[in-house]
Amino acid sequence: MTDPFASLPPLIEAVEQADTATALLAATTRLASHLAGGNPPAPAAIAALVQVLGFNNPGAAVAAVDGLIACGETAVAPLLDNLDAHNYGARAWAVRALAGIGDVRGLELLEQALGGDIGPSVRRAAARGLGQLRCGGLRAEERRGVQERALTALEAAAGDGEWVVRYAVVVGLESLVHDLRPETDSTERDLRERALQTLTQLSQPDEDTTVVRLRANQALGRLAPAA
Amino acid sequence: MAGEEHGPPLTEAGEPISEAEALRRLRQTDDQSLQYYAAWWLGRMRSRHPDTVPLLRSALRQRQPRDPGAGVEHNAVARNAARALGKLGDGGAVSDLLAALEDDDDGLREAAARALGELGALEAVAPICARLASGLAGAGAPMTNSPKLQEPCEALIEALGAIGVADPAVVGVIEPFSGHDRPLVRSAAARALLQLTAEVRWGEVLVELLEHAQLQVRRAALMDLGAVGWRPALEPISATLAENSLKLIALRGLVEQGSGEPGLEALLGAMDDLL
Repeated sequence: MTDPFASLPPLIEAVEQADTATALLAATTRLASHLAGGNPPAPAAIAALVQVLGFNNPGAAVAAVDGLIACGETAVAPLLDNLDAHNYGARAWAVRALAGIGDVRGLELLEQALGGDIGPSVRRAAARGLGQLRCGGLRAEERRGVQERALTALEAAAGDGEWVVRYAVVVGLESLVHDLRPETDSTERDLRERALQTLTQLSQPDEDTTVVRLRANQALGRLAPAA
Repeated sequence: MAGEEHGPPLTEAGEPISEAEALRRLRQTDDQSLQYYAAWWLGRMRSRHPDTVPLLRSALRQRQPRDPGAGVEHNAVARNAARALGKLGDGGAVSDLLAALEDDDDGLREAAARALGELGALEAVAPICARLASGLAGAGAPMTNSPKLQEPCEALIEALGAIGVADPAVVGVIEPFSGHDRPLVRSAAARALLQLTAEVRWGEVLVELLEHAQLQVRRAALMDLGAVGWRPALEPISATLAENSLKLIALRGLVEQGSGEPGLEALLGAMDDLL
C-alpha cells in the first residue's frame, strides 16, 4: 500500500522555498492540484497554503484558495486561526476560501467582514460567501437561523459605498434565495420576500452603477417563479 | 492608470465630513493639507453645491512647492482641484484646465490632461496633440535627471482617446507611441487607438500586454481594456495574473462601455466567479 502522504513533503518544501513569484506560483499550483486530486488534506499542506495568501502574489493566491477549498472543512479552523489583521489582501483571500468552503463556522467572520472590514475586496468576498453557506446538514430551525443572519448582513450591505460590494450582495442574495424552501415554510417565505425586496431596490435607477442594476435584474429574472 | 482615486493624505478611509465643511476647508488657504483633502472630497462625492466649481477653479490656480513635512506633492492643491474638476463634469472649468495644461509642472499637466479627457473637452485636442507631436524623440524621450518622460505621455494620449476625435491627424500623432519602449506608454497608445479607430489590432496589443512579465503592466492593460470596453478580451482578462479587484473593474467596463459578443450573460458570469 502506498503512503498517501509520501509525495507531500517535497511539494510543501517547494512552496516554502520558492524565491521568485513564478516559482511560488508553480509550486503552489502543484500542491493545490495534489490536494484537489482527492489526496488527504494534511495540516502541513494547509498551513503552507494559508501562508501563501499573505505573499501578495495574486496568481499563487488564486491557486492556494482553490487548494484550500478542495480541503473543505479541514481548512476552516486553520483559516480562522490565522487571519492577518494587518494585511487586507491576505484577509480577502482567506474570506474567499471560507466563502468557497461554505462551512457555517465561518458565518460570524463573514458577518463581521461584510459589516466592518476596511478592504472592499474583503467585504465583497464575504457578501458572496454569505449566500453560499452550506446548511444542508443542519436542522430546519438552525438552518433558518443561519439564513436569517446571512440575509440581515446582506441587507445592511446593500448600502455599501463600493459598487463591487453591492454587486456581490446581489450575487449573495440570489444564491441565498435559491436555497430557500418557501413553499414548505412561512419563515423561509418571509426571508425570500425580504431578499427580493433588496434585489428590487438594487435594480432601480437609484442604484447608480449600471452593472449592479443589470446583475440585480438578472437575479430577479432567474428567481421569478416559472410562468 | 485611469480610474485611480487619489486618496486623502490625512485619513485612511476618508473621514466623514459634511459638504459645508469641505467647502470651508477649501476656502481657507492657511492649511494646504486641509485644502488638498477638501478638493479630493468634493470630487469624490460629486458635489453639486454652487460654490464647489468656482472654489476648485481658484484652487487650480494655487501654486506651492512640495512640502515633505505635510506629506503632500508639489502643487498638491492645484493637482487635486484638477482631478476633482474632471469628475464634476462642468464645462466651465475647461478654460482653467487648458491653462494648467501649459504649466511648467508636468504633474499638474498630467492631472489637467486627465480631467480634460473626462470632460470630453474638444478644445483640448489641438493643444494636447501639439505637446505630443515631437513623438518618441521629443515628448516620449526620458528626462535626463528623472525616470519621467519629457511629457506625461500616458495621460495626454489617454485624454485624446477619451475625447474621441477620430481625426487622421490625431491618430497619426498617437500611433508612433505604440512603438515606445515603455510598455505602459504602448498600452496607453493602444487603448486610445482602439477607442478612436476600433481596429482589432489595437485590442490585440492590449491582450498581449496582459501576459507581460511585470504585474504593473498587466494592471494597466486591464484598466485600458476596461476603459474601452473591448469584449473579445473577456477570456484573457479572466486568465491574467492580477488582483480580482482590477479584473472586476475591467469586466465592469466591458459590460458598461462595450457591445456585441460575448454577451451580458457570459460577462456577468465571469464577474461572479471573481468575487
